[in-house]
Amino acid sequence: MSGSEQLARQMDQALASCVHCGFCLPACPTYLATSDEADSPRGRIVLMRGLSAGTLSPDDAAVAQHLDACLGCRGCEPVCPSGVEYSKGLEAARAMLARRRGIPFVARMVLAVFRRKWLWRPIMAMTRMLRATGIPAQLAGSGRLGFMMGMVAASRESRVKSRELRVERQGKNSRLSTLNSQLFTGCVMQGLFSHVHDATRRALEQAGYNVQEVRGQGCCGALHLHAGDDEGARALARENLAAFRGTEGPIVVNSAGCGAMLKEYAHLVEDAEDFSARVRDISELVQPDPSQLSTLNSQLVAAYDAPCHLQHAQRIHAQPLAMLKSVPGLTLLVPPGSSQCCGSAGIYSLVEPGLSREVLAAKIAELAALEPRPDVVLTGNPGCLMQIGAGLRAAGLDIEVRHPIEMLD
Amino acid sequence: MSEPVLARLRALLGDAGVAAGIDGTPRAMPESTEDVAEVMQLAHAEGWKVRVEGQATWLGPDAPAQLALSTRALNRVISVSPEDLVATAQAGAPLDVLRRHLGEAGMWLPIDPPGRPERTLGSVLATATAGPLRLGFGFIRDQVVGLTVVTGDGQVVSAGGRVVKNVAGYDLAKLEIGGFGGFGIITEVNLRLRAVPRADLTMVASGSRDDLSAAARDIHDAGIGCAALELVSPTLAAESEWMLAARVTGTDGAVEADARRIAAVAARDWTALSSEKSAALWALIARGPVGPPVTLRLGVLPEGVDEMLDAVTRDLDEGLISAGPAGGGLRWSGEIDAERLRTMRRMLAAREIPLTLERGPWELRRDVGHFGAYREGVGALVSKLREVFDPGQQLSVALEAETA
Amino acid sequence: MTLLPHGLGQRLAAIVGDRYTRLRPGELAVYGQDGLPAEPSPPGAVVLPGSREEVIAVVKLLHEAGVPWVARGAGTGLSGGAVASSDSVIIGLTRLTRILDLSVGSRRAVVEPGVVNARLSAYTIPHGLVYAPDPSSQTACTLGGNVAENAGGPHCLKYGVTTNHILALEVVLPDGSVVQLGSPSGDAWGPDLVGLFVGSEGMFGIATRITLRLVPVPEAVRTYLADFGSVRAASESVSAIVATGVIPAALEMMDQACVRAVEASIYAAGYPIDAAAVLIVELDGSREGVAADSDVVAPLLAAHGARQLRVADDPAERARLWQGRKKAFGAMGRIAPDLAVQDAVVPRSVLPDVLDRITVVGERHDLVVSNVFHAGDGNLHPNISFDRRDLRRTAQVHAALSEIMEACVAQGGSITGEHGVGADKRDYMPLVFNAASLDAMCRVRRVWDPLERANPGKVLPVNACREWRAGGVE
Repeated sequence: MSGSEQLARQMDQALASCVHCGFCLPACPTYLATSDEADSPRGRIVLMRGLSAGTLSPDDAAVAQHLDACLGCRGCEPVCPSGVEYSKGLEAARAMLARRRGIPFVARMVLAVFRRKWLWRPIMAMTRMLRATGIPAQLAGSGRLGFMMGMVAASRESRVKSRELRVERQGKNSRLSTLNSQLFTGCVMQGLFSHVHDATRRALEQAGYNVQEVRGQGCCGALHLHAGDDEGARALARENLAAFRGTEGPIVVNSAGCGAMLKEYAHLVEDAEDFSARVRDISELVQPDPSQLSTLNSQLVAAYDAPCHLQHAQRIHAQPLAMLKSVPGLTLLVPPGSSQCCGSAGIYSLVEPGLSREVLAAKIAELAALEPRPDVVLTGNPGCLMQIGAGLRAAGLDIEVRHPIEMLD
Repeated sequence: MSEPVLARLRALLGDAGVAAGIDGTPRAMPESTEDVAEVMQLAHAEGWKVRVEGQATWLGPDAPAQLALSTRALNRVISVSPEDLVATAQAGAPLDVLRRHLGEAGMWLPIDPPGRPERTLGSVLATATAGPLRLGFGFIRDQVVGLTVVTGDGQVVSAGGRVVKNVAGYDLAKLEIGGFGGFGIITEVNLRLRAVPRADLTMVASGSRDDLSAAARDIHDAGIGCAALELVSPTLAAESEWMLAARVTGTDGAVEADARRIAAVAARDWTALSSEKSAALWALIARGPVGPPVTLRLGVLPEGVDEMLDAVTRDLDEGLISAGPAGGGLRWSGEIDAERLRTMRRMLAAREIPLTLERGPWELRRDVGHFGAYREGVGALVSKLREVFDPGQQLSVALEAETA
Repeated sequence: MTLLPHGLGQRLAAIVGDRYTRLRPGELAVYGQDGLPAEPSPPGAVVLPGSREEVIAVVKLLHEAGVPWVARGAGTGLSGGAVASSDSVIIGLTRLTRILDLSVGSRRAVVEPGVVNARLSAYTIPHGLVYAPDPSSQTACTLGGNVAENAGGPHCLKYGVTTNHILALEVVLPDGSVVQLGSPSGDAWGPDLVGLFVGSEGMFGIATRITLRLVPVPEAVRTYLADFGSVRAASESVSAIVATGVIPAALEMMDQACVRAVEASIYAAGYPIDAAAVLIVELDGSREGVAADSDVVAPLLAAHGARQLRVADDPAERARLWQGRKKAFGAMGRIAPDLAVQDAVVPRSVLPDVLDRITVVGERHDLVVSNVFHAGDGNLHPNISFDRRDLRRTAQVHAALSEIMEACVAQGGSITGEHGVGADKRDYMPLVFNAASLDAMCRVRRVWDPLERANPGKVLPVNACREWRAGGVE
């Protein structure tokens, strides 16, 4: 059986139960932005079915355009009464498109970088140096460059923390660290959000875990898989499986996108079931005791934004909210649009900047209109942090973005 | 035309089915939809003008016609199915007879249109007149699940069905209800029923119009689901002051609770009426409008009711008025000529309020029409729809647009 | 391939912009179906106007170009009503999503046709008001589509269907002219053309502004779930409840086949799988009113043989009781790739007989038919899961559906309670209407649309109009 037949079969199986009821339409951020069914999950399923049946060609520019325009946010999956495995179908469709026409240049460059640690590490280091100059914060704006600078600036360790949140630690290491755990460090999280990793380690220790460092791990490969580079994704998955071999206990992830990917390694490569079963989002492990947390020294209003790959892909929603509600002094807002995608979606914001910004606009408008006005937006995914952070800056809103785990720090 | 006409009608309907009317117009009294169809086929072939008469308690039998078609013999209550909450009746069935049949089966048709108790179902349907129960149960259009009409050229057309929920085909019944007879002759109707409520309480308060109006809105805004909440003028209520009548229906406990809440929300001197007294009060409110020659209906929203009460009492008179400060709507009955009615209509049109001439002598109906001037584009639709249902213009009705 | 006049695409794009004009095969394919399992029929073009002015300009252009068109909302309909053929243009109204006005005092709202049903209620609930008609697709379907189809829903037993809630409409007629129908009070300057328009399935024009009635959010809601040893016992309990004068907000029933499908799916709601029927009764109103009604209803359920009675007062617990009912179609969707949902109405008293008959029909065609129904009004949804690619099975499904329909009509029922006639049930129309009635409908349609360009081929069976029959087809 040829590769494309296999992909066609994967698509058919994943999408077979779609009865085109249309319940997914209002859950799709791109459909809400364009109001065109070709940009809706049901519409894309028609395109994918056409690809697999051969009635539509992968060369058809319209087919590629609307499949490329999917954020892969998976907001359609929980609302589907028939349980269509949309993302599996999409992965196969994108792989089929990639085989036919290749992957677009920008995407190819980005994916190539994240395949190789020796490439992305120095790039991240340079980005950190640039960030430290304060120039990105100055240049942040709504133009293309300004937005990129805003993203870089948004990854900076929060000034809210140093200025407003003096946290006095009370019972540090209150429990004995008897359980082993490993932190999945990833690429962008490691490169630009090491302060979140530090906060994660401290929270794990607080919760009674011993945090082991794991060498040889790298990018999770989600970007590759979602862009149709399934081979690249497999190679990275195998590297990570090898790196974690011999360890035990939960593999802790603080990036929703990576977590969703790691939990689905078993669908991608052999012998990954045990690995995937160990993967936990940080919010699944940390349920702080409020009495152990020091009170924030000033009242802080926070808006929670649910990362798609946490809420839709991993179906984790109550845990981060419960975690945040236990923080004394924190007023938590969950706006109705919290579960809508921000438009970041891996490298989507780079390859589909127009639609990405349209999707983001709805979120920024909602945050701007919130009462009371939030001081900070909390979201557990690096792409979302940078996308929303840049969007807030572009809109001239003085609202910080932070990872939820930092609230426990 | 009288002798040959009568002979041909007798051939169709038998001797008992034909009579000479009071004003000399021959009168056909068909007993079934098929009879009506045959009469209308004949009328269409002969080019006769036909006026439809019920009990003549609402609109008088005064439209010009060569033949009167009376629904007096088309008066059977054909079936009442409590299990299915549906009844079928012929259009000439008097309301009081229908109510009696329904009551015997424990059923209730939640309408209380103005008029005498023997007013026919067909008359209520054709004019879409609604009483105070419109607040809680909607209009007669909301109680009809299907009907049969005979067109001006004698075709039998049915709309809807005998089940309470149905979207098969276009909803032609809506055109017939409130169509003032211009779209065929309604011969048979399927009605959606309710069980007679276990408890049915009416309580009244009197006082100044503005106070009572505000009280009605307070009750409504509190979310208390009244079956009726009607503001009634002193003349209509036969009292010295304005009256607010609130009616609540349901299970005993629910009705008691609503009555308590009404008294709490609108703290006034409420009198709860016995069932005899409340029946008498609602009958009085219904009968009032048929005294004077003309009845008008204003399609006014709740927030406009006070202003329209001012306007009506100023420009017409404070005679027989009832209004819904909570759900909207205002009815006035009295004497008015075409000129004043036109002036009133112009004033109301500027405020986006339709004024329907529900009742009045033929000359007035002819001069100003039931609806007056149609809005742009609507008049053309109405006349083309008239052509569909009455291609030879047999039906003598006052639906021509007023262009003055 | 497109059968549209040359250059039409550019002229459409000149009105709405390139981004909102769809002409490529892939983009047309996605508009080839609605919620009905049927062979896809891609339109010749899709255009998504962004304002009422653009709608008017598009309709005028198509009128002048002599091109038929189909108005479409979210495409969630179940009768094939929002599907066009390749010589037609789909006018998608999904960009017209503004809620133009809300008047809390008079309980009215004015909306554009693309507003999603549930979004309107989400907007009005903070003001204590809700839009009552709640079709199962309410999270996705548009109010314009609801108006076209006269949509119902579980709660229409007490509150009525769409037509009972629409007060006024602004309509773009098929020649591009605009008429204002009705008034916010529900009265009108003329006959009830609003009532005539609602349920006309997109064949009279496009409603660009909809004035509708809202109802207060009930103070209290209580849901009962009861299971019965026979459908007849469950039906009798429904009759007994209704006979007391209590009108529940909803009365929903599922038969055994349906309960088993649900319980075998991930939507298992804990319904007993040996139950012949599961009944959901929802009461709403004032707190005291619900308590008083409960005192009447609960003993009746028990007296008619309810084996278990679960009760819920808070939203989370109510959602659990409703779960299986709301997800029933989805659960059946998981069994096979296609799901035929029939929509018939019978007088409530004959429900048990009709269900027996449906079982017989199913057995004869070797099909499992599961039933979900709005028990209060006799609206019945027999469902059959199948795979469209299996042609023999598909033929059996169609034969069974048509026999079921005939059985319902024979018992005094109707061919559709809430899904509409569309393309799917057009050929059943002569079962319930005589030739004169169908002819009247044809001619009423031509009053609105003399050239028959708006949603052609729907509702009215071929040969329904007299001149066709006179032409010797009969």
